[in-house]
This record gives sequence, C-alpha cells and structure tokens, in this order.
Amino acid sequence: MNTIKQNILVFNILFLLQFPINSYGDRTKDKMYEEISSSNACFRRLNGTHQIGCSSKRGGSTGVIHFCETEKDLEDIIVQGTGYPYIPILPFKLFNHAALHLMIDSNKISGLILHTNNEPVDVIKNFTHENQCPNPYSSIDGTCKKESVWNPWGTGLLYFDIPFPIFYVERTEDVGLIRECFVKFNNYSYQEHADRSLCSLELNSFMYATTNSPTCIRRSSIVSNLNPQKFCDPLGDSNVWASLHPLAEGPKKNETKPIKDYKYIVIAARLDTTSLFEKTSGASSPITGIVTLLSLAKYLNDTVRLEDVKAGKKNVLFFLFNGETYDYIGSQRMLYDMLNGNFPIPNANDTDILPAIGPEDIDLFVEISQLGNINQKLYVHYLNDGKVVNNFVNKLTNTSSPVPFEAVPNSLPPASLHTFLKNSSSFPGLVISDHKTFYSNHFYNSVYDNSSNIHFKYYNLTTEEISVIPKDSIQYFIKNITEIIGRSIYQEITGHGYTGDSKVDLILVNELLYCYLEDPNCKVHQAVHKDLNLPKIPLALYVGVKGQEHNARILTSLTLGWFTGKTVGQGNINCTNKFRSYAFKYYNMSKSIYDLNVTMCYQVTMNATEAVSPAFSIKDYDWSSGQYSSWTESTWKELNVRLFLKPSANQGKMTMAIGCISMIFSFLLVYFIKSRSHILFVPPIPTDAPTDC
Amino acid sequence: MDLSKVPNDRKLYLCRTYFRIGFFLLPFVWLVNAVWFFNDAFRKPEFDEQKSMKKYVVCSAIGTSIWFVALLSWVITFQLNRSNWGEFADYISFIIPFGTP
Repeated sequence: MNTIKQNILVFNILFLLQFPINSYGDRTKDKMYEEISSSNACFRRLNGTHQIGCSSKRGGSTGVIHFCETEKDLEDIIVQGTGYPYIPILPFKLFNHAALHLMIDSNKISGLILHTNNEPVDVIKNFTHENQCPNPYSSIDGTCKKESVWNPWGTGLLYFDIPFPIFYVERTEDVGLIRECFVKFNNYSYQEHADRSLCSLELNSFMYATTNSPTCIRRSSIVSNLNPQKFCDPLGDSNVWASLHPLAEGPKKNETKPIKDYKYIVIAARLDTTSLFEKTSGASSPITGIVTLLSLAKYLNDTVRLEDVKAGKKNVLFFLFNGETYDYIGSQRMLYDMLNGNFPIPNANDTDILPAIGPEDIDLFVEISQLGNINQKLYVHYLNDGKVVNNFVNKLTNTSSPVPFEAVPNSLPPASLHTFLKNSSSFPGLVISDHKTFYSNHFYNSVYDNSSNIHFKYYNLTTEEISVIPKDSIQYFIKNITEIIGRSIYQEITGHGYTGDSKVDLILVNELLYCYLEDPNCKVHQAVHKDLNLPKIPLALYVGVKGQEHNARILTSLTLGWFTGKTVGQGNINCTNKFRSYAFKYYNMSKSIYDLNVTMCYQVTMNATEAVSPAFSIKDYDWSSGQYSSWTESTWKELNVRLFLKPSANQGKMTMAIGCISMIFSFLLVYFIKSRSHILFVPPIPTDAPTDC
Repeated sequence: MDLSKVPNDRKLYLCRTYFRIGFFLLPFVWLVNAVWFFNDAFRKPEFDEQKSMKKYVVCSAIGTSIWFVALLSWVITFQLNRSNWGEFADYISFIIPFGTP
C-alpha cells in the first residue's frame, strides 16, 4: 500500500515539474516525431485539362521506411514486405518510369523519398523529367519529330499525376538519420514486419486543388462559399525588358516624347526553369542564356552609340521572358499585350509616353537558348529564312572566331520564338543554342542542372590576374559568344563592322555566373542593390505565382537596368527623387564591380510587364482550346516530413481491446451502482414543508 | 413542458399547431410532434381528443418519413455526382472540400 502511495506522489511531483517546462514546448502528440527539415516537396500543378504532380492524403501519408540501393531492393520489399504501406528511400538514379509504375501498380507504396546519395553529375549521366518534346501543345507543329526529339532523356514524369507524395531530402545528415532508424528497426526479416514496431515517415503535402485549372479557379471565386479559400493560383510573374538607348526623347521639364518610327532588334532569353521539386537549379537553362544576354547588353551599351541608333533608326530591346517552361507564359502575354497595343505600357497609343511596339516593328528577334556545352560549336536555328534572318545568320557564321557557328535552317528548338511565329509565320527570328538536333544538356529542368553540369568554377580575381581563367572555361566561352553576337548586332545597326577595341569583361562574366550559380550576394548584385543580405544558396528560378517575391527576377532586372543605363551624375538622395515615368527610372548604383563604393546615379530604361497568361484575363476563355498557357499551382497549408516509430499492429489491437473492455466495464459499473443506489447512498432527509403561519 | 400535467384539449391544440407549423418546410417539427405525442395518441387509455391526435401524429410521422427519404436520396445523388456535375455542383455548394475532384 505504501509503495502505491509513493508512486502517486512521485507522479504528482513529476506532473507538477513538467507543467511549466512543457508550456512552451511541443505538444505531447508531436513529441514522438523527428522533423526532417531539408525536404523539398513535389507539389501539384494544373492546366486546362489535367492535374500533374503529387499530393499526400489530408493530414499526411504515412508508411514504413525502406532504403533501396538497387532496383532489386525495391522489388523485394514490394513482394516480401508485410508491413505495408511502405515509403521507399531511393537514390535519384533509380527514379524512372519503370520504378514509378512498379510502385503505383503494387498499391503497397504510400510515398517516396529521393536523395542524391552524394553521387556526382557524371555518375548519374542523365536526369530530366521534362517531356521529350518540351511544351508540346504551345510549340509549332512539326518542330519536334518523333524520330528526333529535343530532350531524348526526358521521362516526362514532371507532367505525370502521381498518386502519392514525393519529397527530395537534400542534406546527407537527414538521410543518415533516416538510415540509422531504418537499420535499427526495419532492416531484417521483412516477412515479420507486420509483427513489430517499425521506423516510419509521415509525408505531408496535401494539395487543395484538383482536376484542372478551370475547376480550381472557379472554386476559388465562388461567392456563396461559406469558407472562401484559394484553391490555386495562376503561374506567372513579370517579364523584364530594357532598351539599349531610350525609347523616348527627354526628359525636358518632366516631359518625354516617344520616338515613333524606329525598328527594333530584340535580344531575348528565358528567365525560368523548373524541377519536380520546390528546389530548382537551371545552370545551362536558363542561366547561360541570362548571363549571355546581360553581358551582351553591357557590351552593346559600350559599343553602340546613340548616334548610331539615330542614324540607323534601329534600337535594341532586351527581353527576359518569365514562365517559358510552362507553355511560354511570358512571351504569350508579351505578344498578347503587343497585339492589343499594351506594350511597352498599357494603352501605348493613347498615352504619349513611350511608342507602341508591335511584332511588326521587330526587325530581328535573336533568342539566346542554352549555351552550357563549351566543347562544341554553336547552332543558329530558324524556320523563316527571310532576307534579314539570312543576312544575320551569314554574319554569325562568317565571323572567324574561337567559336564556330553553324546555320540550321528549318529547325526550331523549344523557345519563345514559337509564340511569335505562331502569330505570324513571317516573323524574322532565330535561336542560338549549343545543340543541333537534341539537347546537349542531360539534366534539362532538373536539380542536377547545376554549376558542375556546365563545369563552372568561380575565380575570385582582380583584373591583373585574368589569365588564371582557363581558355576552355564557360567564362571564356560566354565572353566569346557575346562578342560575336554583339559585333553582328553592331553591324546590323550601323551597316559596317565594328572597328573599336571594346571587349567583354571576362571578370564580369565570371561574377555574373557566380551570382546565379553560387552566391546571390555577389559583387554585381551588391552593385545594383545596396544592403543585400540573402542566404548563400542559388536563387530559385521557378516562375512561381503572381504576388510572390521573385528575387532572381528583381536582381536580374536591376542588373539589366544597370548595364543599359547611363550615368546622370553622382549618386545621392536626389537621384532616386528625380521624376520617374515609364520611360525613365533613376537608381543609385555602384560605378562598376571594381568600385563598389563609388555610387553613381543611373538613368534606367528597364521595366517590367506582367507575365501571367492571357487565359486568366479573357472572359469565358475556352480552357480546352490550348490557345494560351493555362498552368496554375495548387495551394497548400504545409509541407513537411516527419520521422517516427510506428508501433506494431498487435500493440494497436491491444490498445483498442483494452479501450473497448474498459468502456463496457464502465457501463456495467454505472448500471450496478444505479440499480443499488438506495443501498449505496443515504437518501436525503426531506426538509419540512414550509408552513404558512 | 411536462406533458402529463397538461389537459387533453391543450395537448390536441399543441399537436395540431406543431402539425401545421411543419408545413413551413420544417420536417423536424413533424418529427418532434410524432415522437412527443406518440404515447398520448397510442398508448394512453382512450380520451375524447385521442382520435384527432392520432391523425396528426400519424400524418406528422408520414411527412417526416417522406422528408427523410427525399433528403437521403438527394444527399446520395449529390455526393455521387458532385464531381461529374462540375460547375453546377460548385455553385450549389456552401462548403467545397479541399483536395477532392
């Protein structure tokens, strides 16, 4: 009897002690979990007709961990395991169509974890879940033939509706934690899995939207709904554009006058990539294109003078399209705006600020595609071989230079140019890329398209040490290409070859690549954006949804503004207070990456236009028509992965049985107490009725 | 209200009023009426108003069951066809569940 009393006392003391400690901590039900923090979810996207990607069950899908080193491990656990559902942990190299179908068909898999297994790019060989013909519905028919596809390693899994959640666990320590738990509890006698406690995972990536974009958009906007909630958001952000020399004269007394009769040479590149997970890389596509476009802007700013533009009546426009991965969102919207007279500004014809620019004003459209393959020559793809295109192709191919260019007529890899050519087949455009008939990038739109895919190595150098950078580096390659394209464009504007000695700054190319591939707090970004403090991980290049902060786009647009802008005096507080209009903006930016502390005031022509598909603004748009991109992203509440020890089925049954027995017992007890209440309880003595005296 | 303390004519009045109120699309009032006055209408020794009360109780019970069958078949039809009906189903819903077609 004494021991029971002591126990109760100890329990009480413990309870009292625990109380204040726990009041700030986790809830007891959460204490059995270990959070896997470096997990990247695969989420759900929708288009006009389908849903793709992954979703867990509401509240999370759970399953028993099984580490697979080979395909046989996966087959074995599906056949032999008795503790299902399982969550296999696969290295990236085992993730393919066959494995996924095996898992889906078995009905024993409730989720999937992928990890890199620390394998370098050369071991993986290829990893791309994009379609073999990227953007099949929005590209021009016949540009991707069955017998010669652009992305031959593409599995198309990115566009697959996967019935269970998938997470990519990034940190080796987290994978180690899961492995440790697996070895301790799960990794023996698989046939007896059903009888013992097993290490398990809970994957929570429950997606709100289903079916397709029109369904979720409609559900998000129903007014009679008692619980108004967004189910999905259209993919999209902003396109960035800038002109080499201003599109308007002035400003005189804050008034600008649009220059109306010019033709334009457009230099375009895409700004986005994607991957199966939240995390993106995108070294070859789009970073090589963005960096080439930016250094080209700087180079042309150094070489082409305002007088040249005035004499030739030809200006240069730089376009960075966002959302091109998802059926050319950016270029479709740009073209739609142009055709409706809303480019560069809404109602351009009525507002006398900037000239309205339409596709017919574009003399030449040069698109810079993937340029990550430094070993080969470059290819100029074009469908329409009009005079202007032919001339320009000749200029590129005739230049005797370190990088040979080859013309590839009647060919067009996936590019923004498709959008413009679909509108008018005589649109003069060409695409410069590092591939002829198929991508040389084996990791297109995947997390493996990182700096090692394009063999980038950063050199922290001063101008004097420039010779350290080897001639066969990606830096040299981009510098050479930029000079060739730059000179051809110079000739296109002025009508004669470039004779000056301006060169592309190799260090700047090196820095630009470093900005996108390794550290966003690099010198270039410091120069254009003061007090930058971003985590030292590459910026995400996924288009995202409208309204989300898109750091990569913001910093890229500032860099483009810096490269095409001109100084209007010393940098100070008056600079940013100058009169701003659509035509001109003013920023305090460093003089160069070598003088970060010398601030100048820059007059910048850079601007942004919306890059959200017209499908979302057209009333009664026919979603199944496929005319415009219709991609949306589902909303969700949380994305997380938790590790826990699942008790054996027997323990569960036991707990259930004890619960049931005690409930039945309590009913009996209450019944007996009630039936014998006259014995157990003394009936209350009736008080005397109050008497009215 | 303790029904045992209410005089019979008052009971009939209540039963009739409940029955009439039920016509305003209030099947639960009929249900309450049927349950509440069941004892008086069928199990109590005969009294004058019992015959009319029986009529109201039986009618309320029939009304309730018609409502029940109608509601149940609507709920089943709606739940089975919600995703097929698409737009129409969304517009007549007050709460749209997450993550279901």
